[in-house]
Amino acid sequence: MRTVNSKRDWGTFFLYAFGFVLLWEWIRPLKELTDTGYLYMFIFYIFLSFVMAFFHVRMWISSPIKIFYILSCVHVLYLEEAFFSPTWFKGIFADIINNFGLVLAGEWVELTNVFRTIMFFVLIWLMTYLIHYWLLNRKRIFLFFVVTLIYITVLDTFTPYSAKEAIIRTIVTGFAAMGILTLNRILTKENIGRDFSFSKRWMTLLSCLIVLSVTVGLIAPKAEPIWPDPVPFIKSLNDKSGGGTKTIGYGVDDSQLGGDFVGDNKVVFRAEVESKHYWKVETKDYYTGKGWIASDRQSERITFPIESVVPIYDFEGDVEVREQEAIIEPFISYPHLVYPFGVRQAHALDMEFLEFDPSIEKIYFENNRSTIGRYSLSYKVPKYSVTKLKQITSFQQARLDRMFTQKYLQVPATLPVEVKKLAEEITKGHETWFDKVRAVERYFDQAMFSYSQKDVAVPGRNEDYVAQFLFDTKVGYCDNFSTSMAVMLRTIGIPTRWVKGYSGGEYKQLGSNSRKVYEVTNNNAHSWLEVYFPGSGWLAFEPTPGFSNNVSLNFDTYKQETPKAETPAPVKKPEPVKPDRKEEVDNKATSTFSFKLFWLKIKLFFKNEWEWILITGLALALLAVIIYRKRSRWLPHYLLFRFKFKKNDDSFGLAYVALLKQLELYGLKRKSDQTLRDYAKYVDTFFSTREMTRLTDRYELLLYKGALKNGTWEETKELWENLIKKTIA
Amino acid sequence: MRNQMNPQIERIIQNIEKVMIGKRTVAELSLVALLANGHVLLEDVPGVGKTMMVRALAKSVSAKFKRIQFTPDLLPSDVTGVSIYNPKEMEFQFKPGPIMGNIILADEINRTSPKTQSALLEGMEESSVTIDGVTHILDKPFFVMATQNPIEYEGTYPLPEAQLDRFLLKMQMGYPEMDEEMEVLNRAQKTPPIEELEPVVSLSELKQLQLDIKDVYVDETIKRYIVELAQKTRTHSSVYLGASPRGSIALMKACQAYAFMYNRDYVLPDDVQYLAPFVFSHRLILKSEAKFEGITAEEIVKRVIARVPVPVQRLVK
Repeated sequence: MRTVNSKRDWGTFFLYAFGFVLLWEWIRPLKELTDTGYLYMFIFYIFLSFVMAFFHVRMWISSPIKIFYILSCVHVLYLEEAFFSPTWFKGIFADIINNFGLVLAGEWVELTNVFRTIMFFVLIWLMTYLIHYWLLNRKRIFLFFVVTLIYITVLDTFTPYSAKEAIIRTIVTGFAAMGILTLNRILTKENIGRDFSFSKRWMTLLSCLIVLSVTVGLIAPKAEPIWPDPVPFIKSLNDKSGGGTKTIGYGVDDSQLGGDFVGDNKVVFRAEVESKHYWKVETKDYYTGKGWIASDRQSERITFPIESVVPIYDFEGDVEVREQEAIIEPFISYPHLVYPFGVRQAHALDMEFLEFDPSIEKIYFENNRSTIGRYSLSYKVPKYSVTKLKQITSFQQARLDRMFTQKYLQVPATLPVEVKKLAEEITKGHETWFDKVRAVERYFDQAMFSYSQKDVAVPGRNEDYVAQFLFDTKVGYCDNFSTSMAVMLRTIGIPTRWVKGYSGGEYKQLGSNSRKVYEVTNNNAHSWLEVYFPGSGWLAFEPTPGFSNNVSLNFDTYKQETPKAETPAPVKKPEPVKPDRKEEVDNKATSTFSFKLFWLKIKLFFKNEWEWILITGLALALLAVIIYRKRSRWLPHYLLFRFKFKKNDDSFGLAYVALLKQLELYGLKRKSDQTLRDYAKYVDTFFSTREMTRLTDRYELLLYKGALKNGTWEETKELWENLIKKTIA
Repeated sequence: MRNQMNPQIERIIQNIEKVMIGKRTVAELSLVALLANGHVLLEDVPGVGKTMMVRALAKSVSAKFKRIQFTPDLLPSDVTGVSIYNPKEMEFQFKPGPIMGNIILADEINRTSPKTQSALLEGMEESSVTIDGVTHILDKPFFVMATQNPIEYEGTYPLPEAQLDRFLLKMQMGYPEMDEEMEVLNRAQKTPPIEELEPVVSLSELKQLQLDIKDVYVDETIKRYIVELAQKTRTHSSVYLGASPRGSIALMKACQAYAFMYNRDYVLPDDVQYLAPFVFSHRLILKSEAKFEGITAEEIVKRVIARVPVPVQRLVK
């Protein structure tokens, strides 16, 4: 036993110092990452704890000192009553008891700062004790050192905290502490007294090693990070005002289109409908060169009673229509409704009025209230006559209202002339508007355009969003395709508008009245365009590859061309689960970290393929069980094969043990106290041979004498094989 | 046992069998003890042929045979010998007692006083006796076969456990079978055949055999097995005191002798299992509860054997 005095030597002093530094590293980042203030109080507390531990201050002295310190800190930070007055104590105790209740209730947010501070002090108390225990009793600190390193590196990677110096500090102190501890362990184990020269040499070597390794670590070339820094991405998640990647979903501002976004499969609403179709939220008519806005920004909302006709007129004249009804069950509350093309009326139980913004054809709930109650919609699905559509060939014939044409033929003056040229080129040889529109729509089906949510460009200051997509990047998502088609059609005099909403969603289950329930998620957010045909009305087109809107057309007399996208019967292409619109965010830093997207893909894979994964997994498990249960059948064959080509006598022991196992599988069980001789006799009686006994004689020699004649395996191989073969029968 | 016996030992046993009928096991075990330089405690009633057994053994190996009939009034000097004043020579002359032989039958050892018992037991342990301050080295080989009558308790001095430990083996003779006993009667009609026995092994050959058994190989696995058995007897719930390390050594030596007898130069677990009850049972002190339940030490040793797995694979080091 060493005396107390020798314990309080320089080694111990350094150990405490290093323990202090390591624990300090845990506290350091808090200032930057959390709203914890007055860190020096905690650090001084750690210092105090270690000092008292170093001087072996007795528990009954040190504990009151610590408690007094903690309470003083709390007092200085939060409390106003006279220090240590009865009310002060009462306040503290009431607070603690109250907070314990909150803890039990899981109301973490409600905890008071006083309580949290006290708890933090208690945590540090435990930690200092633990480190003290590790350093002096266990003489090991490796675990804590590694955890500290992980803590720092994780913080460095995923938070704005920069751990450049912290890593060096931790490495140095950790190595030093471990070196001293190893020395202490060796001294204790080898029962060497405290030899000063030995310790001195050890310390010198240790310091050299640490200096060397740190220097090498500092100056050695470092590999490039294998993933991009995720901090900007995480920042953008926490902080809506920063970051360049957008999460998908419904956004209001479309004036700056472009940029990447990541998917989000939060359910927005469930719709019970007769047939799947797109859902509109709003339409926009003014293209700025960067995105879309409403041309009439001063329009006032119209309030109208629910159940009355919605003032949206998507089609005109004597268009053939089908009446349908849909029930919407919102999961995310928005102040607006989603509605199908041709909406007539809305019904909701607890609602009297709706508000309507005519400039963007957006319907709001009364007083902008967000609801998640169900509502139903009745609407008319038009079935346009293609013959009639094809009669429209030119502007003059349309005889459109001047205001109307100005609104829906608007293009910015800055629009490059190439867009118009391209539109003209594509539509060359087509006479009617309908054919021209179809030609432009088909243009986007070409392989040079690709659908992607990643690496989608944002137009520069002097760039046009459409031109950039058409001539430069050719990579994009629905916004790129729909905007480009709308603008191109406008340049050749065909009125268009840009529509935002959701695509049809994913089929979930059968609803009432043989209707189907579709689930629409944020990934279904979508944009497309509508073209105005005089005499018929607005008709939706879908330039985005991989998407299809079910538009009913009457091909009565129209048989010249096989229609491609729109067939008379509602087409149900499988809806690709592609996130398709995004939340607009101003700051566009170029971070390509798509961890979330990757995760989404994995989740999608499991979600889509879970049946197969489950079936395959079960089948494999079943197969494994069968193979295992039937091992007595195939194992002998395997053993025969395994030992067939073995020439070495070393195999003999292995082969014999394998034979024992095989015999046991076969049903000839050896009791644990049965000797091999006895067992061999039993086996031989069973098979009416003498082979097992002969084989066992050799094995006894090997096992109990440790000697084996050369060539034993060759001689006994046949015996062994015969016995194995007997177990096959 | 399949193995052929060592020819010399086979000869001895056959020689004994000429006079002893159906007692091959006892003959074998006695030889094991003789070869392992140990002693035997025979626990049996009078008249089953203990003396005959020992005499036959002694004759077969041409050893000096002595017999001591223990009685309560027997004195230590009656065992070890005494110095008598010879008036002619004018000095004390040492008259060696019956212990000065090679093979000694100590009949009904529990009937004499502990003092006399210890005189014999000291000789057994030290291979020497000290009389009047003079140490007399006993002859070699020195083999004691002591008998104990298990049914008489009046006026007996049961051997203390420490002294029981001196015996390598304890066994019972047992009554002969029906046919065997009839054969015994047949032979008894004629002259006792014991007189006609010829030695088959010389004393020096026997000494050589005793040396040879030390070369019998005991593998680590076997040693471990022996130790495990011994340790299990110590932790058995019915046992107050288990087999001592001396017991483990005794078992190993007995196994070596037994393996040698069967012409093997290595020990098998079979040997251990066969001999363990004979070696261990008199070394265990049972708890009184176990005694009340009628559990015998032999049964406990057998249970311990059943519980310890036989080593069938190399030890993994």
